[in-house]
Amino acid sequence: MATKEITYLDAIREAQAHALRDDPRVFIYGQDVGGFGGAFKATKNLAKEFPGRVIDAPISEDAIVGLAVGAAIEGLRPIIEMQFADFAAVGFNQIVNQAATLFWRTNVPCPITVRLPFGGTSGGGPFHSQTPEAIYAHYPGLIVLTPATVEDAYGMLLEAVALDDPVVFCEHKLLYRHLKAEKLPTEALPIGKARIAREGRDLTIVAYSAMVQDALEAATELAAEGWEIEIVDLRSVKPLDTDTVIASVARTGKLLCVGEAWPWGGVTAEVIARVMSEGFGLLDAPPQRLNSKDTPVPFHPKLWEAHRPTVRSIAAAARKILRH
Amino acid sequence: MLQVVTEPHTGVADAVREAHLTAFRYMLRARLLDDKFGALYRASKIHGGVFLSRGQEALSVATGLALKKTDVFAPLIRDTAGRMAFGEPILDAVRTYLGSSLGPMRGRDGNVHRGNPQQGYLPMISHLGAMVSVVNGMLFARRLKKITGCVGAACLGDGATSTGAFHEALNQAAVEKLPLVLVVANNQYAYSTPTARQFACNELTDKAIGYGATPHSVDGTDLTACLQVLSKAVDQARSGGGPQLVVAELLRLCGHGEHDDASYVDANLKNSPFGRDCLKVAREHLIRHKWTDHTQISVWESEAVHEIEEAVGQVLREPAPDPYSEKWTAISTEHLIEGQEEAGKI
Amino acid sequence: MPQVLITMPQLGESIAEARIVQFLVKAGDNVEADQDLIEVETDKATMTVASPCKGRLGGFSAQLDESYAVGAALGSIEATQEEAARLGLDEVVTQKSEPDSLAKGGQNGRRTQVQPTVRGLPVPANAAGASYLSPRLKARMDELGLHAADLAGVAGSGAAGRVTVEDFEKYIASLEKQKMSGASSMRVAVADAMRRSWTRPLATVGLPVVLDSLLAHRKTCEPKPGPALYALRALALALAENSAPAGRLVGSKIVHPSAIDVGFAVEAEDGVLVPVIRQADKRPLKDLTQRYGELVELARQRKLPPDATGGSVATVTNFGTFGLIWATPIPLPEQTLVLGLGAGRKVPFWDEQKGQFVPVMEANLTLSFDHRVLDGGAAGRLLQRISELMRQPEKL
Repeated sequence: MATKEITYLDAIREAQAHALRDDPRVFIYGQDVGGFGGAFKATKNLAKEFPGRVIDAPISEDAIVGLAVGAAIEGLRPIIEMQFADFAAVGFNQIVNQAATLFWRTNVPCPITVRLPFGGTSGGGPFHSQTPEAIYAHYPGLIVLTPATVEDAYGMLLEAVALDDPVVFCEHKLLYRHLKAEKLPTEALPIGKARIAREGRDLTIVAYSAMVQDALEAATELAAEGWEIEIVDLRSVKPLDTDTVIASVARTGKLLCVGEAWPWGGVTAEVIARVMSEGFGLLDAPPQRLNSKDTPVPFHPKLWEAHRPTVRSIAAAARKILRH
Repeated sequence: MLQVVTEPHTGVADAVREAHLTAFRYMLRARLLDDKFGALYRASKIHGGVFLSRGQEALSVATGLALKKTDVFAPLIRDTAGRMAFGEPILDAVRTYLGSSLGPMRGRDGNVHRGNPQQGYLPMISHLGAMVSVVNGMLFARRLKKITGCVGAACLGDGATSTGAFHEALNQAAVEKLPLVLVVANNQYAYSTPTARQFACNELTDKAIGYGATPHSVDGTDLTACLQVLSKAVDQARSGGGPQLVVAELLRLCGHGEHDDASYVDANLKNSPFGRDCLKVAREHLIRHKWTDHTQISVWESEAVHEIEEAVGQVLREPAPDPYSEKWTAISTEHLIEGQEEAGKI
Repeated sequence: MPQVLITMPQLGESIAEARIVQFLVKAGDNVEADQDLIEVETDKATMTVASPCKGRLGGFSAQLDESYAVGAALGSIEATQEEAARLGLDEVVTQKSEPDSLAKGGQNGRRTQVQPTVRGLPVPANAAGASYLSPRLKARMDELGLHAADLAGVAGSGAAGRVTVEDFEKYIASLEKQKMSGASSMRVAVADAMRRSWTRPLATVGLPVVLDSLLAHRKTCEPKPGPALYALRALALALAENSAPAGRLVGSKIVHPSAIDVGFAVEAEDGVLVPVIRQADKRPLKDLTQRYGELVELARQRKLPPDATGGSVATVTNFGTFGLIWATPIPLPEQTLVLGLGAGRKVPFWDEQKGQFVPVMEANLTLSFDHRVLDGGAAGRLLQRISELMRQPEKL
């Protein structure tokens, strides 16, 4: 009997091993990634298996990204690991002003992959929980990915390394050990295409990353009440697969967009703006969104659970639209 | 291209003379090109900022000449002479300032933000200090690719040494023992901020010790000293000495930009030894050693002026970028481009 | 503890309100979700109002024997936070929300709180019920060539009684199951004209007219003019005296008719056509009789030439030909007036002179009009003048 043994984290490690093995231009750089195998063990044993290609960096997010850009100009394909997405803020300038503008200014592509362990976990607090995908998506020149499944964590990371453009790869920490699959995929949906995670008829829920799992549970709860909810997993936040979202809204007429990030100018705002302007005539109810509350992410588990969308709050928001 | 050889050889004197003459000619051309940019600015022919290098030509040319064409060079704001010495054609500089669609930046960036990355010549971004780690990355990559014997030079001002990016990058270079040469032009002012408000250590070279880098001091107004010190620093880096921190003392002899009248510059500094104009000093040095004469210099000047005028004349007739035929996308992977604008539709 | 409102639910097709007949629980009682709380009565049936959630009944704001509209608040339940969250139910906004303080801008320059103007997902407050069409519903209706009037028979199951796309599709599907015949293009055209006309506030005034002198006059004519032609001429002459009642209101201006062209309704297959007598005020009755007859024939055969229709400023309709004594016709959408003539009947009329009832032939004249252009008084005066002229047929 096949058991689910491969975790989301394993998939990320496997993808990196695969990349290092197949492409001599790939190397990994970041804090504690070498002998220690990374803060989350995403690079466990890779330094040993690929000597000289998994290198420890000092605590210098700016210089880490800058070094990657220089290496990319020289034709290498660096994967850099930020220890937490929250700390990528220190390297923000190099990501958005150096990496993201290089191709546009000079016609020289910048094939770096910046891995961000992101998203909230209980007890993480304000600086180990952030989901900054919208800010990076806002800057032209970046690809921003948010895999929600073990298969996508593997396939999309491989594809990210192969892309010539800078990729911000958002891996959700909560999914690292909780999400498991039987095996790694041999083929995958390409980057840029969203996935219908669940087919439905009465309401479309658009979600990404860990929220896809919560939305699926909410859909199960609502199914018991006679509602069939369709769930769209965006997979990549930029580019955002508007076509799949609109096709889904054409089927259901109702939209709820769920994101773990803060409300102002987030991915949920972007999805709704697009559906409103390109699919206005498809809507039978005003589109809604559900985000975390507009405060930093709290530390205490009780506050943390109330701060973010949950299975319960997703279902409640869905009911409100369904009853409209 | 220049190696200062220390053996007692009859060719040494020749080599030194040639080095000075080559350097001086670049300095002269750089000064004249800068003057032209200033004139174009005052005639409203340039959009945006104009940043000149007056007073820093000696240091800059010495840096450019000390590097091989296969090295990595990240010049900054006041490096007209160094860029020329490293191989940048005047046309590239003029095209970038005037925004020609035929220039290396194709109108997407302007003035001193120009370069050719795949030839090791990095175009700066405005955030000071940010280019140093990119130079590190190129050197690091070459090492991974088993390419040896290269050097990377990054130019900075006194102000840039205060940035976090500078700190992280120099530290990183030292930890990785990269062949990095940082050339700090301490021209006493970062825009209007004097060095007393920029750093508290006695000398900027003191910082080198903190990072594990090797310090070098030089009088930035003295071409001979610049040629010697830069040569030495580059050699040390090239032979595995790790990062080198060269700090040159000089004075900025123009505004931060041509929009700035620099009235805040302390008059005492203007009258001090580092207030000397390095071009004037070099000219006197050359004449004194009888390596050239005023007539010859005049010829070089008019040749340079002619070359510059030709270039400007040509570029003024070149097309500006056409927004209707621009490809309005910032990523290179075609199938991932969102909402692609059709050509002709803005 | 959040307060969850108990509201008057959807009561059925085109029912807007119900009367409270019995409260089934009292304040303080614990209730389950969907438990019956109130018994209400409509014109059609007795129904119950169920609890929106589990909790404790806070109390009823509704009164016994009073009527309340669909969606009105009737009381509230105290629910647990969890229960309210589970259902995504709104909290009660304080009953005494103070719109005045918003207008005043707060006292002493202190900023007042912004009160939300909608609760729940927005259905425009003044457009509840079938008049609120979501973008998707509008698109669907456009696709099928339908108008809001076509939804009149659809009960909305959505918020504030709106018709959802599901309601609509069910309705269309249910129609498929019933006998359907194609509506002729004439029918569709008349439907469109009447729908457009109805967008105005229309009113009708009526007056009986004694036809004896008219009938006597008619006996002396050859060919014989129809009673409607007499009415048409009387209307034309009355309008020639004062054309304002036939004016059209455009914004804040009244556009007076340039010529008194008057149309008259002729029943054609599956609809009505309106041929026109041009300058009806300038041509005496005897000159019009033949033309009138020709136009009636042409209309019945649907062979009216283009110059014989359109451009009239008022219409006459003789609903008396169907035996009707009273009708409230609808003016054409581009006209302000329509004059109707009912069937003549022998009725007793009090003759003051003779001091007894005498038999007379009487018919009702009704005048429907766009109430934006004229009021009952002007309409009445016009009708009186028409009646007067019809009793003096030699003037027509």
